[in-house]
Amino acid sequence: MSEETTERRRSFLGPRIAAIAILAFGLFVLLGTFRISERSGYGPTGAAFFPLIVAIGLLVFGALFLVRTTVLPDRYLGEKAATEGAATYWPTVGLIAAVLVVYAFVLKPLGYIVATTLFFPVVAYVLGSAGLRAITRNLAIGAVLAVIVYFGFTELLGVRLPQGLLNPLL
Amino acid sequence: MEVLGDLIGGFATALRPEYLLLAALGVTLGTLVGVLPGIGPALTVALLLPLTYDFDPTGAFILFAGIYYGGMYGGSTTSILLNTPGEAASVATTLEGFPMARAGRGGAALATAAIGSFVAGTISTVAITFLAPLMARVALLFQPADYFALMVLAFVSVTALVGRSLVRGMVSLFFGLFIGLIGIDVLSGQARFTFGVPQLLNGVDVVVLAVGLFAVGEVLYVASRMRHDTEEIVPVRGRVWMNRGEWRRSWKAWLRGTAIGFPFGTLPAGGAEIPTFLSYNTEKQLSRHKDEFGKGAIEGVAGPEAANNAAFSGVLVPLLTLGIPTSATAAILLAAFQIFNLQPGPLLFENAPDLVWALIASLYIGNVMLLILNLPLIRIWVKILSIPRPLLYSGILLFATLGVYGLSNNAIDLLIMYALGLAGFFMRRYDFPVAPVIIGAILGPLLEAQFRRALSISQGDLTVFVTRPLSLTLLLVAFAALLLPYLPGLIARIRGERPESGRTVFSEGEED
Repeated sequence: MSEETTERRRSFLGPRIAAIAILAFGLFVLLGTFRISERSGYGPTGAAFFPLIVAIGLLVFGALFLVRTTVLPDRYLGEKAATEGAATYWPTVGLIAAVLVVYAFVLKPLGYIVATTLFFPVVAYVLGSAGLRAITRNLAIGAVLAVIVYFGFTELLGVRLPQGLLNPLL
Repeated sequence: MEVLGDLIGGFATALRPEYLLLAALGVTLGTLVGVLPGIGPALTVALLLPLTYDFDPTGAFILFAGIYYGGMYGGSTTSILLNTPGEAASVATTLEGFPMARAGRGGAALATAAIGSFVAGTISTVAITFLAPLMARVALLFQPADYFALMVLAFVSVTALVGRSLVRGMVSLFFGLFIGLIGIDVLSGQARFTFGVPQLLNGVDVVVLAVGLFAVGEVLYVASRMRHDTEEIVPVRGRVWMNRGEWRRSWKAWLRGTAIGFPFGTLPAGGAEIPTFLSYNTEKQLSRHKDEFGKGAIEGVAGPEAANNAAFSGVLVPLLTLGIPTSATAAILLAAFQIFNLQPGPLLFENAPDLVWALIASLYIGNVMLLILNLPLIRIWVKILSIPRPLLYSGILLFATLGVYGLSNNAIDLLIMYALGLAGFFMRRYDFPVAPVIIGAILGPLLEAQFRRALSISQGDLTVFVTRPLSLTLLLVAFAALLLPYLPGLIARIRGERPESGRTVFSEGEED
């Protein structure tokens, strides 16, 4: 490796948090395994044997990953994390996640058509399709998509979708 | 020739109008999702899976095979014109394809990719036709212990040979294995990791998993970088065709690419990324135009594209004859077989010969359809590339949610999918490969079943896995695959040189 690459910026904060999260997850799986084994034991043909292996695997490789972000840093990963950190705009990620969760909960009360007509332009807006003209156009696209999907799925494919607010009309 | 008779029977089925229509629909959809950045065949098959529950299995698999083949053709268009590979197996294509497009030779690059894909796809389909029945006969000798060893080998090679880091690959694999554990244990009837949520008793649906990791994960990742990344679409000038010199430089590269790609695909060695780079390097070594490499050498598009298609086709051999998937899409196809109550493996050729041979025949037909779709009609696909990104990604989220919500009309499934999407986002950020999660989740329960079955046959004797020569060999090969990436560094150290890096990286290992 040349001098240049070794001097490139690295950041390990994110990967370290990820490593801790993996270890915590491994511990969580291990605790869950104990609950299964109360009834079936750890015999290799029992129901708790594989969960135990998975828990150990997560803990071992989580620990190794932690080593690669601290004592024996993985050069490529550090550089990747640094460039990702510089390129990331967190508000977009947070907003999209929030819109998705709201969408999941309003699908039933509002109905598929209304919820989707709103969902499409809102996500597009968060992703940068702003401006009055774009928003109106996206709203129209959302409505058309929602109606086509709703009737296509309920009438042609026999998949049930919630009617919600439009219940009296449909 | 028994095989030819079976194949003709397959054609008789696959040429029926309704199946032709499904094949056409499949290859068109496949090309579409292959062209669109951010989504791929694995996600598409998963999304369409619930809609095909009422189909007869033959029709469903002809549709899926079309999507599978179409995705590979479409991916090359994106790599050449956008410099953003549609999937990892197309990365090598961008190296020469994008410079060619910028130099105004995009038409020739697209033509050599499409014709090369056709040549490789057809040769590989012939190879499948004759190889698969043979493999199936060999596979009849496999016992549970051997299957267990074979799956261990598949896991190890998928995680160890693909991707930059063994540790991260293994974390992904174990995460997938955990997801596979969720639900009722088939052998004991005990619920595992269901947390009192009734929706989890049947496990995490493959649709929820694939859509979360691939669609939501990808959209969140792209969204996070949207203000930073810019992309440039190179317009295609002139005809999508090649001149005589370009033909002369392409055809050998196609054949070499096929010869490299197909065997790699049939091995449980993790899909198409490795052979595409091998093919690229081979062409670079053999070319008389070495100086053009990096600036747009047509061999560098022809070889990897052929290798890509051949490897993807090769993946079908272990999938159909052994039930072992070696790529994310193959894993989802395996899940599809299970939904239709079919177990891929040696008995598939005996239990469902009509389906298998119709499927193989449809691969020939699909390749011809794809050649038409990707040569004369290429400009339609190029137009699709210019869909504004915010609308494209909103649309992907819309259909992702629809695919999961349509399953059960249930917000909990959606929340599980979004949570998996968040996991997928961080995996992309910190370079954890996604394919091992899917393969682990789908193959894990089978691995556990074979393991426990082998042990009940041997009455709890764990040595059963090392006393059978076949399973011992497979486990040793798996162990070797684990060490292989460290070998070059180790040899350098023994010779007293300072190695460049401890572990050799074969490929980046991303797949949509």
